[in-house]
Amino acid sequence: MRIVVTVKLVPDLNAEKRIDPATKRLVRTGMETVLNPYDEYALEAALQLKEKLGDDTTVTLLSMVPESSKETLRKALAMGADDAHVLSDEKLSGSDVFVTAAALAGVARKIGFDLVVCGGLADDGSTGGVPGALAEHLGVPGLTNARHLEISDGTITAQRETDSGYQTVTCALPALISVTMAVGEPRYASLKGIMGAKRKNIALLSAADAGVTETTSRTELLSFGPPPARTKARIVEAADGAAGAQTIFDFLRERKLV
Amino acid sequence: MRHVIAFAEHRKGQTRKVTYELATQAHELAQKLGGTAHAIVLGEGAGALAESLTKYPLDVVHVAEDPDVDAYLLDPTIDYLEGAARAIGSSIVLVPNTMYGRDVASRLAARLGAGLNADVTGFAIDGERVACIAPKLGGVTITTCAFEDCEYGVATVRPNAFAAQPGGAGARLETLAKPDAKPYRMRIVNEVEEASSELGLEEAPVVVSGGRGLGGAEPFTTLLKPLADALGGAIGASRAAADAGWVPYSLQIGQTGKTVSPKLYIAVGISGAIQHKVGMRSAGTIVAINKDGTAPISEFSDLLVVGDAFQIVPALTKLINDSKA
Repeated sequence: MRIVVTVKLVPDLNAEKRIDPATKRLVRTGMETVLNPYDEYALEAALQLKEKLGDDTTVTLLSMVPESSKETLRKALAMGADDAHVLSDEKLSGSDVFVTAAALAGVARKIGFDLVVCGGLADDGSTGGVPGALAEHLGVPGLTNARHLEISDGTITAQRETDSGYQTVTCALPALISVTMAVGEPRYASLKGIMGAKRKNIALLSAADAGVTETTSRTELLSFGPPPARTKARIVEAADGAAGAQTIFDFLRERKLV
Repeated sequence: MRHVIAFAEHRKGQTRKVTYELATQAHELAQKLGGTAHAIVLGEGAGALAESLTKYPLDVVHVAEDPDVDAYLLDPTIDYLEGAARAIGSSIVLVPNTMYGRDVASRLAARLGAGLNADVTGFAIDGERVACIAPKLGGVTITTCAFEDCEYGVATVRPNAFAAQPGGAGARLETLAKPDAKPYRMRIVNEVEEASSELGLEEAPVVVSGGRGLGGAEPFTTLLKPLADALGGAIGASRAAADAGWVPYSLQIGQTGKTVSPKLYIAVGISGAIQHKVGMRSAGTIVAINKDGTAPISEFSDLLVVGDAFQIVPALTKLINDSKA
Protein backbone atom coordinates (compact mmCIF):
# COMPACT_ATOMS: atom_id res chain seq x y z
CA MET A 1 0.00 0.00 0.00
CA ARG A 2 1.22 3.49 -0.80
CA ILE A 3 0.64 6.20 1.80
CA VAL A 4 1.32 9.85 0.98
CA VAL A 5 1.66 12.29 3.88
CA THR A 6 1.37 16.01 3.19
CA VAL A 7 3.82 18.10 5.21
CA LYS A 8 4.19 21.82 5.43
CA LEU A 9 7.03 23.82 6.88
CA VAL A 10 6.01 26.65 9.18
CA PRO A 11 7.85 29.29 11.19
CA ASP A 12 8.87 28.04 14.62
CA LEU A 13 5.96 28.04 17.12
CA ASN A 14 7.52 30.63 19.36
CA ALA A 15 8.81 32.94 16.64
CA GLU A 16 7.06 36.25 16.21
CA LYS A 17 5.09 35.95 12.99
CA ARG A 18 4.54 38.89 10.70
CA ILE A 19 3.45 39.73 7.19
CA ASP A 20 5.76 41.54 4.77
CA PRO A 21 4.06 44.85 3.86
CA ALA A 22 5.44 44.77 0.31
CA THR A 23 4.56 41.22 -0.74
CA LYS A 24 1.68 40.76 1.74
CA ARG A 25 2.99 37.32 2.46
CA LEU A 26 4.07 35.72 5.69
CA VAL A 27 7.73 36.45 6.31
CA ARG A 28 9.45 33.06 6.28
CA THR A 29 13.03 34.13 5.85
CA GLY A 30 15.29 34.73 8.82
CA MET A 31 13.26 32.51 11.07
CA GLU A 32 13.73 28.86 11.70
CA THR A 33 11.20 26.77 9.86
CA VAL A 34 10.01 23.55 11.39
CA LEU A 35 7.68 20.77 10.36
CA ASN A 36 4.12 21.91 10.94
CA PRO A 37 3.43 20.20 14.30
CA TYR A 38 0.03 18.94 13.12
CA ASP A 39 1.72 17.20 10.18
CA GLU A 40 3.99 15.30 12.57
CA TYR A 41 0.81 13.67 13.89
CA ALA A 42 -0.20 12.82 10.32
CA LEU A 43 3.18 11.18 9.78
CA GLU A 44 2.88 9.33 13.09
CA ALA A 45 -0.51 7.95 12.00
CA ALA A 46 0.97 6.86 8.66
CA LEU A 47 3.95 5.16 10.33
CA GLN A 48 1.63 3.31 12.72
CA LEU A 49 -0.28 2.02 9.68
CA LYS A 50 2.95 0.97 8.00
CA GLU A 51 3.91 -1.01 11.11
CA LYS A 52 0.56 -2.79 11.11
CA LEU A 53 0.33 -3.37 7.38
CA GLY A 54 3.89 -4.56 6.82
CA ASP A 55 6.92 -3.75 4.73
CA ASP A 56 5.28 -3.52 1.33
CA THR A 57 3.64 -0.33 2.63
CA THR A 58 5.54 2.83 1.78
CA VAL A 59 5.20 6.28 3.29
CA THR A 60 6.01 9.17 0.95
CA LEU A 61 6.18 12.79 2.05
CA LEU A 62 4.56 15.40 -0.17
CA SER A 63 5.46 19.01 0.41
CA MET A 64 5.34 22.37 -1.31
CA VAL A 65 8.28 24.42 -0.05
CA PRO A 66 11.04 26.64 -1.43
CA GLU A 67 13.97 24.50 -2.57
CA SER A 68 16.16 26.07 0.10
CA SER A 69 13.99 24.56 2.87
CA LYS A 70 13.78 21.03 1.57
CA GLU A 71 16.45 19.67 3.91
CA THR A 72 14.10 20.34 6.85
CA LEU A 73 12.18 17.32 5.58
CA ARG A 74 15.11 15.07 6.67
CA LYS A 75 13.60 15.15 10.14
CA ALA A 76 10.43 13.52 8.82
CA LEU A 77 12.49 11.02 6.83
CA ALA A 78 14.42 10.24 10.03
CA MET A 79 11.13 9.54 11.82
CA GLY A 80 10.53 6.77 9.28
CA ALA A 81 9.13 8.10 6.00
CA ASP A 82 10.63 6.35 2.98
CA ASP A 83 11.08 9.24 0.56
CA ALA A 84 9.85 12.72 -0.26
CA HIS A 85 8.46 14.61 -3.22
CA VAL A 86 8.89 18.36 -3.05
CA LEU A 87 7.02 20.75 -5.30
CA SER A 88 9.04 23.91 -5.51
CA ASP A 89 8.19 26.65 -7.97
CA GLU A 90 8.23 30.43 -7.76
CA LYS A 91 4.91 30.44 -9.65
CA LEU A 92 3.29 28.81 -6.61
CA SER A 93 4.69 31.21 -4.03
CA GLY A 94 1.86 32.84 -2.06
CA SER A 95 -0.75 30.36 -3.32
CA ASP A 96 -4.15 30.29 -1.63
CA VAL A 97 -6.01 27.12 -0.60
CA PHE A 98 -7.37 26.49 -4.06
CA VAL A 99 -4.05 26.61 -5.88
CA THR A 100 -2.18 24.80 -3.09
CA ALA A 101 -4.66 21.93 -3.11
CA ALA A 102 -4.70 21.75 -6.90
CA ALA A 103 -0.91 21.64 -7.01
CA LEU A 104 -0.60 19.00 -4.26
CA ALA A 105 -3.24 16.95 -6.06
CA GLY A 106 -1.14 17.07 -9.24
CA VAL A 107 1.87 15.62 -7.45
CA ALA A 108 -0.15 13.05 -5.48
CA ARG A 109 -1.64 11.72 -8.70
CA LYS A 110 1.81 11.53 -10.23
CA ILE A 111 3.20 9.61 -7.24
CA GLY A 112 0.15 7.37 -6.99
CA PHE A 113 -1.49 6.59 -3.64
CA ASP A 114 -3.94 4.43 -1.77
CA LEU A 115 -4.18 6.79 1.14
CA VAL A 116 -3.29 10.46 1.67
CA VAL A 117 -2.81 11.55 5.29
CA CYS A 118 -2.93 15.24 6.26
CA GLY A 119 -2.55 17.15 9.50
CA GLY A 120 -5.68 18.88 10.70
CA LEU A 121 -4.31 22.41 10.50
CA ALA A 122 -1.21 24.39 9.76
CA ASP A 123 0.35 26.43 12.49
CA ASP A 124 0.92 29.55 10.43
CA GLY A 125 -2.35 31.33 9.95
CA SER A 126 -3.70 29.39 7.00
CA THR A 127 -7.31 28.34 6.66
CA GLY A 128 -7.12 24.64 7.52
CA GLY A 129 -8.89 24.14 4.22
CA VAL A 130 -6.29 22.14 2.33
CA PRO A 131 -7.28 18.58 3.36
CA GLY A 132 -10.89 19.00 2.25
CA ALA A 133 -9.92 20.84 -0.92
CA LEU A 134 -7.26 18.22 -1.72
CA ALA A 135 -9.81 15.40 -1.37
CA GLU A 136 -12.10 17.29 -3.71
CA HIS A 137 -9.33 17.84 -6.30
CA LEU A 138 -8.34 14.17 -6.09
CA GLY A 139 -11.96 13.01 -6.28
CA VAL A 140 -11.55 10.72 -3.27
CA PRO A 141 -13.45 10.57 0.06
CA GLY A 142 -12.12 13.16 2.55
CA LEU A 143 -12.39 11.67 6.02
CA THR A 144 -11.39 14.53 8.29
CA ASN A 145 -10.45 14.80 11.98
CA ALA A 146 -9.72 11.10 12.50
CA ARG A 147 -8.38 10.22 15.94
CA HIS A 148 -8.17 6.47 15.49
CA LEU A 149 -8.05 4.40 12.33
CA GLU A 150 -7.84 0.87 11.11
CA ILE A 151 -7.51 -0.50 7.62
CA SER A 152 -8.51 -3.97 6.54
CA ASP A 153 -9.51 -5.39 3.16
CA GLY A 154 -9.08 -2.01 1.53
CA THR A 155 -11.54 -0.33 3.88
CA ILE A 156 -10.81 2.34 6.48
CA THR A 157 -12.73 2.40 9.72
CA ALA A 158 -12.06 5.62 11.56
CA GLN A 159 -13.24 7.33 14.67
CA ARG A 160 -13.48 11.02 13.88
CA GLU A 161 -13.90 13.91 16.28
CA THR A 162 -16.97 16.09 16.01
CA ASP A 163 -17.97 19.28 17.80
CA SER A 164 -19.76 17.27 20.44
CA GLY A 165 -18.00 13.91 20.56
CA TYR A 166 -17.05 11.43 17.90
CA GLN A 167 -18.48 9.28 15.15
CA THR A 168 -17.34 6.09 13.46
CA VAL A 169 -17.07 6.31 9.68
CA THR A 170 -16.10 3.69 7.11
CA CYS A 171 -14.98 4.16 3.54
CA ALA A 172 -13.13 2.26 0.84
CA LEU A 173 -9.64 3.18 -0.38
CA PRO A 174 -8.34 5.23 -2.10
CA ALA A 175 -9.12 8.01 0.31
CA LEU A 176 -7.76 11.03 2.11
CA ILE A 177 -7.83 11.40 5.87
CA SER A 178 -6.85 14.22 8.18
CA VAL A 179 -5.92 13.37 11.74
CA THR A 180 -6.14 15.04 15.13
CA MET A 181 -3.50 15.00 17.84
CA ALA A 182 -5.28 12.10 19.53
CA VAL A 183 -3.68 9.62 17.08
CA GLY A 184 -0.63 9.56 19.34
CA GLU A 185 2.48 11.59 20.09
CA PRO A 186 4.84 11.76 17.11
CA ARG A 187 7.82 9.45 17.61
CA TYR A 188 11.37 10.66 18.00
CA ALA A 189 13.82 9.79 15.27
CA SER A 190 16.26 7.07 16.30
CA LEU A 191 19.99 7.44 15.63
CA LYS A 192 19.62 4.75 12.97
CA GLY A 193 16.73 6.70 11.49
CA ILE A 194 18.74 9.91 11.40
CA MET A 195 21.70 8.20 9.69
CA GLY A 196 19.40 6.41 7.24
CA ALA A 197 17.54 9.62 6.38
CA LYS A 198 20.67 11.08 4.81
CA ARG A 199 20.48 8.55 2.01
CA LYS A 200 16.74 8.82 1.39
CA ASN A 201 15.58 10.47 -1.79
CA ILE A 202 14.03 13.92 -1.90
CA ALA A 203 12.69 14.39 -5.45
CA LEU A 204 12.29 17.95 -6.58
CA LEU A 205 9.47 18.85 -8.97
CA SER A 206 8.45 22.05 -10.74
CA ALA A 207 4.83 23.00 -11.34
CA ALA A 208 5.23 21.82 -14.94
CA ASP A 209 6.66 18.44 -13.80
CA ALA A 210 3.59 17.93 -11.66
CA GLY A 211 1.23 18.93 -14.43
CA VAL A 212 0.06 21.94 -12.41
CA THR A 213 -1.63 24.48 -14.66
CA GLU A 214 -3.76 26.32 -12.15
CA THR A 215 -1.68 29.02 -10.48
CA THR A 216 -4.13 31.90 -10.06
CA SER A 217 -5.25 32.35 -6.46
CA ARG A 218 -8.93 32.95 -5.75
CA THR A 219 -8.28 35.35 -2.91
CA GLU A 220 -6.12 38.45 -2.54
CA LEU A 221 -4.84 39.96 0.69
CA LEU A 222 -5.67 43.68 0.56
CA SER A 223 -4.46 44.92 3.92
CA PHE A 224 -3.59 43.87 7.45
CA GLY A 225 -2.98 45.45 10.82
CA PRO A 226 -2.75 44.80 14.53
CA PRO A 227 -5.86 43.84 16.55
CA PRO A 228 -7.27 46.20 19.18
CA ALA A 229 -4.86 46.07 22.13
CA ARG A 230 -5.84 44.41 25.39
CA THR A 231 -4.75 46.14 28.56
CA LYS A 232 -3.34 44.58 31.68
CA ALA A 233 -5.84 43.25 34.19
CA ARG A 234 -7.06 44.93 37.31
CA ILE A 235 -5.66 42.55 39.94
CA VAL A 236 -7.60 42.04 43.14
CA GLU A 237 -6.46 39.85 46.03
CA ALA A 238 -9.49 38.03 47.46
CA ALA A 239 -9.61 37.92 51.26
CA ASP A 240 -11.85 34.85 51.04
CA GLY A 241 -14.20 33.06 48.64
CA ALA A 242 -17.13 35.38 49.34
CA ALA A 243 -15.07 38.52 48.78
CA GLY A 244 -13.59 37.17 45.55
CA ALA A 245 -17.01 36.20 44.25
CA GLN A 246 -18.43 39.62 45.14
CA THR A 247 -15.59 41.37 43.28
CA ILE A 248 -16.32 39.37 40.12
CA PHE A 249 -20.08 39.75 40.49
CA ASP A 250 -19.83 43.55 40.83
CA PHE A 251 -17.51 43.72 37.84
CA LEU A 252 -19.91 41.65 35.68
CA ARG A 253 -22.80 43.89 36.84
CA GLU A 254 -20.83 46.98 35.86
CA ARG A 255 -20.34 45.52 32.38
CA LYS A 256 -23.98 44.39 32.21
CA LEU A 257 -22.92 40.76 31.82
CA VAL A 258 -25.22 39.50 34.61
CA MET B 1 -25.26 41.41 -8.75
CA ARG B 2 -24.31 38.71 -6.33
CA HIS B 3 -26.46 36.56 -4.10
CA VAL B 4 -25.65 35.36 -0.61
CA ILE B 5 -26.29 31.85 0.71
CA ALA B 6 -26.19 30.85 4.38
CA PHE B 7 -25.54 27.18 5.19
CA ALA B 8 -27.67 26.24 8.21
CA GLU B 9 -25.70 23.83 10.38
CA HIS B 10 -27.75 21.84 12.84
CA ARG B 11 -27.90 18.50 14.59
CA LYS B 12 -31.14 16.66 13.88
CA GLY B 13 -33.04 19.93 13.75
CA GLN B 14 -31.40 21.29 16.89
CA THR B 15 -30.64 24.83 15.92
CA ARG B 16 -27.36 26.52 16.38
CA LYS B 17 -27.38 30.22 17.16
CA VAL B 18 -24.77 30.90 14.51
CA THR B 19 -27.31 29.80 11.88
CA TYR B 20 -29.47 32.85 12.65
CA GLU B 21 -26.40 35.07 12.70
CA LEU B 22 -25.54 33.87 9.20
CA ALA B 23 -29.14 34.30 8.00
CA THR B 24 -29.14 37.90 9.23
CA GLN B 25 -25.75 38.62 7.72
CA ALA B 26 -26.77 37.00 4.42
CA HIS B 27 -29.57 39.56 4.12
CA GLU B 28 -27.33 42.51 4.95
CA LEU B 29 -24.65 41.45 2.48
CA ALA B 30 -27.19 40.65 -0.25
CA GLN B 31 -28.69 44.13 0.06
CA LYS B 32 -25.30 45.71 -0.48
CA LEU B 33 -24.60 43.44 -3.45
CA GLY B 34 -28.02 43.90 -5.04
CA GLY B 35 -28.79 40.18 -4.87
CA THR B 36 -31.07 37.86 -2.94
CA ALA B 37 -30.49 36.11 0.39
CA HIS B 38 -30.87 32.35 0.78
CA ALA B 39 -30.52 29.71 3.46
CA ILE B 40 -30.00 25.99 2.87
CA VAL B 41 -31.11 23.43 5.45
CA LEU B 42 -30.35 19.73 4.96
CA GLY B 43 -30.98 16.45 6.72
CA GLU B 44 -33.13 15.11 9.53
CA GLY B 45 -35.09 17.89 11.23
CA ALA B 46 -34.47 20.32 8.36
CA GLY B 47 -38.16 21.10 7.90
CA ALA B 48 -38.69 22.51 11.39
CA LEU B 49 -35.48 24.52 11.26
CA ALA B 50 -36.36 25.88 7.82
CA GLU B 51 -39.70 27.01 9.24
CA SER B 52 -37.94 28.99 11.98
CA LEU B 53 -35.62 30.55 9.39
CA THR B 54 -38.54 32.00 7.43
CA LYS B 55 -38.86 34.54 10.26
CA TYR B 56 -35.48 35.97 9.25
CA PRO B 57 -35.03 38.49 6.42
CA LEU B 58 -34.25 35.90 3.73
CA ASP B 59 -35.75 35.59 0.27
CA VAL B 60 -35.72 31.80 0.02
CA VAL B 61 -35.10 28.95 2.45
CA HIS B 62 -34.13 25.80 0.56
CA VAL B 63 -34.77 22.55 2.33
CA ALA B 64 -34.06 18.85 1.78
CA GLU B 65 -34.99 16.43 4.54
CA ASP B 66 -32.95 13.64 3.00
CA PRO B 67 -31.78 10.79 5.30
CA ASP B 68 -28.63 10.33 3.17
CA VAL B 69 -27.33 13.63 4.58
CA ASP B 70 -27.12 12.06 8.04
CA ALA B 71 -26.14 8.58 6.89
CA TYR B 72 -23.04 9.67 4.95
CA LEU B 73 -20.28 12.07 5.85
CA LEU B 74 -20.12 15.34 3.89
CA ASP B 75 -20.62 14.07 0.32
CA PRO B 76 -24.43 14.47 0.12
CA THR B 77 -24.21 17.87 1.81
CA ILE B 78 -21.61 19.11 -0.67
CA ASP B 79 -23.65 17.81 -3.62
CA TYR B 80 -26.78 19.62 -2.39
CA LEU B 81 -24.89 22.85 -1.73
CA GLU B 82 -23.17 22.75 -5.10
CA GLY B 83 -26.48 22.14 -6.88
CA ALA B 84 -28.22 24.96 -5.01
CA ALA B 85 -25.35 27.42 -5.53
CA ARG B 86 -25.23 26.71 -9.26
CA ALA B 87 -29.02 27.15 -9.54
CA ILE B 88 -28.93 30.43 -7.58
CA GLY B 89 -25.98 31.81 -9.54
CA SER B 90 -22.96 33.94 -8.64
CA SER B 91 -22.89 34.12 -4.87
CA ILE B 92 -21.04 34.30 -1.60
CA VAL B 93 -21.65 31.24 0.59
CA LEU B 94 -21.51 31.74 4.36
CA VAL B 95 -20.69 28.71 6.49
CA PRO B 96 -20.22 28.70 10.27
CA ASN B 97 -16.62 28.43 11.40
CA THR B 98 -17.17 25.25 13.38
CA MET B 99 -15.52 21.83 12.99
CA TYR B 100 -18.22 20.67 10.60
CA GLY B 101 -18.54 24.04 8.88
CA ARG B 102 -14.82 24.14 8.08
CA ASP B 103 -15.08 20.73 6.40
CA VAL B 104 -18.10 21.81 4.39
CA ALA B 105 -16.49 25.09 3.32
CA SER B 106 -13.19 23.63 2.17
CA ARG B 107 -14.88 20.94 0.08
CA LEU B 108 -17.49 23.30 -1.35
CA ALA B 109 -14.97 26.00 -2.27
CA ALA B 110 -12.84 23.48 -4.16
CA ARG B 111 -15.92 22.04 -5.88
CA LEU B 112 -17.08 25.50 -6.99
CA GLY B 113 -13.58 26.70 -7.91
CA ALA B 114 -14.14 29.42 -5.34
CA GLY B 115 -11.92 31.36 -3.00
CA LEU B 116 -12.02 30.43 0.68
CA ASN B 117 -11.75 32.93 3.52
CA ALA B 118 -11.67 31.49 7.03
CA ASP B 119 -12.78 32.66 10.47
CA VAL B 120 -14.36 35.85 9.16
CA THR B 121 -15.48 38.49 11.68
CA GLY B 122 -16.49 41.26 9.26
CA PHE B 123 -17.10 42.13 5.61
CA ALA B 124 -16.01 45.11 3.52
CA ILE B 125 -17.64 45.74 0.17
CA ASP B 126 -16.27 47.74 -2.69
CA GLY B 127 -18.68 47.68 -5.64
CA GLU B 128 -19.21 44.00 -6.31
CA ARG B 129 -15.98 42.99 -4.69
CA VAL B 130 -16.37 41.37 -1.30
CA ALA B 131 -13.52 41.37 1.18
CA CYS B 132 -13.42 39.42 4.43
CA ILE B 133 -11.95 40.68 7.66
CA ALA B 134 -10.40 37.92 9.77
CA PRO B 135 -7.89 37.52 12.58
CA LYS B 136 -4.81 35.51 11.50
CA LEU B 137 -1.58 34.19 13.00
CA GLY B 138 -3.25 33.41 16.31
CA GLY B 139 -4.93 36.81 16.41
CA VAL B 140 -1.80 38.97 16.20
CA THR B 141 -2.85 40.29 12.77
CA ILE B 142 -6.23 41.30 11.40
CA THR B 143 -6.37 40.76 7.64
CA THR B 144 -8.68 42.04 4.94
CA CYS B 145 -8.74 39.53 2.11
CA ALA B 146 -10.84 39.89 -1.05
CA PHE B 147 -12.43 37.23 -3.18
CA GLU B 148 -10.98 37.47 -6.65
CA ASP B 149 -13.28 38.02 -9.54
CA CYS B 150 -14.70 34.50 -9.74
CA GLU B 151 -18.25 33.30 -9.67
CA TYR B 152 -18.33 32.05 -6.11
CA GLY B 153 -16.72 32.83 -2.79
CA VAL B 154 -16.96 30.78 0.40
CA ALA B 155 -16.43 32.24 3.87
CA THR B 156 -16.42 30.49 7.22
CA VAL B 157 -17.87 32.96 9.70
CA ARG B 158 -16.87 33.10 13.35
CA PRO B 159 -19.82 32.49 15.70
CA ASN B 160 -20.79 35.52 17.81
CA ALA B 161 -19.24 37.90 15.27
CA PHE B 162 -22.60 39.09 13.93
CA ALA B 163 -25.99 39.79 15.49
CA ALA B 164 -29.03 37.62 14.81
CA GLN B 165 -32.05 39.77 13.98
CA PRO B 166 -35.41 38.32 12.85
CA GLY B 167 -37.45 40.35 10.37
CA GLY B 168 -38.48 40.59 6.75
CA ALA B 169 -41.69 39.69 5.01
CA GLY B 170 -41.33 35.94 5.49
CA ALA B 171 -39.03 33.83 3.36
CA ARG B 172 -40.34 31.45 0.73
CA LEU B 173 -39.77 27.75 1.39
CA GLU B 174 -38.50 25.64 -1.50
CA THR B 175 -37.65 21.97 -1.59
CA LEU B 176 -34.30 21.07 -3.14
CA ALA B 177 -34.27 18.28 -5.68
CA LYS B 178 -31.96 15.37 -4.90
CA PRO B 179 -28.68 15.73 -6.78
CA ASP B 180 -27.91 13.16 -9.47
CA ALA B 181 -27.26 9.84 -7.81
CA LYS B 182 -23.60 9.40 -7.02
CA PRO B 183 -22.28 6.66 -4.79
CA TYR B 184 -21.75 8.17 -1.33
CA ARG B 185 -18.61 6.67 0.09
CA MET B 186 -18.20 7.66 3.73
CA ARG B 187 -20.80 5.85 5.77
CA ILE B 188 -21.47 7.04 9.33
CA VAL B 189 -21.72 3.87 11.41
CA ASN B 190 -22.46 5.45 14.77
CA GLU B 191 -22.26 8.70 16.63
CA VAL B 192 -21.35 9.31 20.27
CA GLU B 193 -21.94 12.55 22.17
CA GLU B 194 -19.23 13.20 24.74
CA ALA B 195 -19.91 16.78 25.73
CA SER B 196 -23.68 16.76 26.02
CA SER B 197 -23.85 20.52 25.79
CA GLU B 198 -26.78 21.97 23.90
CA LEU B 199 -24.56 24.79 22.84
CA GLY B 200 -21.46 24.46 20.73
CA LEU B 201 -18.43 25.74 22.58
CA GLU B 202 -17.43 28.00 19.71
CA GLU B 203 -20.73 29.85 19.70
CA ALA B 204 -21.50 30.01 23.42
CA PRO B 205 -21.97 33.63 24.61
CA VAL B 206 -20.17 32.75 27.85
CA VAL B 207 -17.33 30.26 28.31
CA VAL B 208 -16.14 29.08 31.73
CA SER B 209 -12.82 27.41 31.24
CA GLY B 210 -10.64 25.35 33.56
CA GLY B 211 -6.96 24.48 33.61
CA ARG B 212 -4.24 22.71 35.50
CA GLY B 213 -5.18 24.60 38.70
CA LEU B 214 -8.34 22.52 39.02
CA GLY B 215 -6.32 19.40 39.72
CA GLY B 216 -8.72 16.84 38.26
CA ALA B 217 -11.82 16.00 36.26
CA GLU B 218 -14.38 16.42 39.01
CA PRO B 219 -14.22 20.22 39.43
CA PHE B 220 -15.28 20.60 35.80
CA THR B 221 -18.69 19.12 36.66
CA THR B 222 -19.02 20.22 40.29
CA LEU B 223 -17.48 23.70 40.03
CA LEU B 224 -17.44 25.02 36.44
CA LYS B 225 -20.60 23.48 34.99
CA PRO B 226 -22.94 25.10 37.59
CA LEU B 227 -21.32 28.50 36.93
CA ALA B 228 -21.58 28.03 33.16
CA ASP B 229 -25.24 27.02 33.56
CA ALA B 230 -25.96 30.08 35.72
CA LEU B 231 -24.47 32.30 33.02
CA GLY B 232 -26.07 30.45 30.10
CA GLY B 233 -22.68 29.35 28.81
CA ALA B 234 -20.52 26.35 28.07
CA ILE B 235 -17.43 24.89 29.70
CA GLY B 236 -14.00 24.79 28.09
CA ALA B 237 -10.51 23.77 29.10
CA SER B 238 -6.83 24.43 28.59
CA ARG B 239 -4.62 21.92 26.82
CA ALA B 240 -3.15 20.82 30.16
CA ALA B 241 -6.61 19.73 31.32
CA ALA B 242 -7.37 17.92 28.04
CA ASP B 243 -3.96 16.22 27.97
CA ALA B 244 -4.50 15.03 31.54
CA GLY B 245 -7.72 13.36 30.38
CA TRP B 246 -9.90 15.45 32.68
CA VAL B 247 -12.07 16.58 29.75
CA PRO B 248 -12.40 15.43 26.12
CA TYR B 249 -10.26 17.23 23.53
CA SER B 250 -13.46 18.67 22.06
CA LEU B 251 -13.45 21.14 24.98
CA GLN B 252 -9.86 22.29 24.49
CA ILE B 253 -9.39 25.97 23.71
CA GLY B 254 -6.22 27.35 22.20
CA GLN B 255 -3.65 26.90 19.49
CA THR B 256 -4.26 23.20 18.99
CA GLY B 257 -7.92 23.33 20.01
CA LYS B 258 -10.84 25.63 19.43
CA THR B 259 -10.92 29.39 19.03
CA VAL B 260 -13.72 31.10 20.91
CA SER B 261 -14.85 34.71 21.09
CA PRO B 262 -17.67 34.83 23.63
CA LYS B 263 -18.96 37.99 25.29
CA LEU B 264 -17.53 36.74 28.59
CA TYR B 265 -14.65 34.32 29.20
CA ILE B 266 -13.91 33.15 32.73
CA ALA B 267 -10.56 31.38 33.09
CA VAL B 268 -10.28 29.31 36.25
CA GLY B 269 -6.87 27.98 37.24
CA ILE B 270 -5.42 28.78 33.80
CA SER B 271 -2.06 30.50 33.78
CA GLY B 272 -2.52 31.88 30.26
CA ALA B 273 0.27 30.46 28.11
CA ILE B 274 0.47 31.89 24.59
CA GLN B 275 -0.98 28.62 23.25
CA HIS B 276 -4.14 29.24 25.29
CA LYS B 277 -4.23 32.98 24.65
CA VAL B 278 -4.54 32.63 20.88
CA GLY B 279 -7.77 30.65 21.35
CA MET B 280 -9.59 33.22 23.50
CA ARG B 281 -7.92 36.62 23.23
CA SER B 282 -10.76 38.10 21.21
CA ALA B 283 -13.38 37.46 23.92
CA GLY B 284 -15.33 40.58 24.91
CA THR B 285 -14.51 40.47 28.61
CA ILE B 286 -11.97 38.16 30.24
CA VAL B 287 -12.09 37.37 33.95
CA ALA B 288 -9.44 35.16 35.54
CA ILE B 289 -9.38 33.38 38.87
CA ASN B 290 -5.92 32.22 39.84
CA LYS B 291 -3.77 31.55 42.88
CA ASP B 292 -0.90 33.43 41.26
CA GLY B 293 -1.24 37.20 40.81
CA THR B 294 1.68 37.26 38.38
CA ALA B 295 0.29 34.58 36.02
CA PRO B 296 0.66 35.56 32.33
CA ILE B 297 -3.13 35.76 32.03
CA SER B 298 -2.99 39.05 33.96
CA GLU B 299 -1.43 40.60 30.86
CA PHE B 300 -4.54 40.17 28.72
CA SER B 301 -7.51 39.75 31.04
CA ASP B 302 -9.73 42.54 32.32
CA LEU B 303 -9.97 41.35 35.91
CA LEU B 304 -7.79 38.86 37.77
CA VAL B 305 -9.01 37.76 41.17
CA VAL B 306 -6.24 36.13 43.18
CA GLY B 307 -7.64 33.48 45.47
CA ASP B 308 -8.95 29.96 45.89
CA ALA B 309 -11.16 29.00 42.94
CA PHE B 310 -12.76 26.22 44.99
CA GLN B 311 -14.15 28.90 47.34
CA ILE B 312 -14.78 31.70 44.84
CA VAL B 313 -16.58 29.82 42.06
CA PRO B 314 -19.43 28.31 44.15
CA ALA B 315 -19.96 31.67 45.89
CA LEU B 316 -20.09 33.42 42.51
CA THR B 317 -22.52 30.85 41.12
CA LYS B 318 -24.79 31.44 44.11
CA LEU B 319 -24.63 35.25 43.73
CA ILE B 320 -25.63 34.95 40.06
CA ASN B 321 -28.44 32.48 40.73
CA ASP B 322 -29.74 34.58 43.63
CA SER B 323 -29.73 37.71 41.48
CA LYS B 324 -32.02 35.97 38.99
CA ALA B 325 -34.51 34.85 41.64
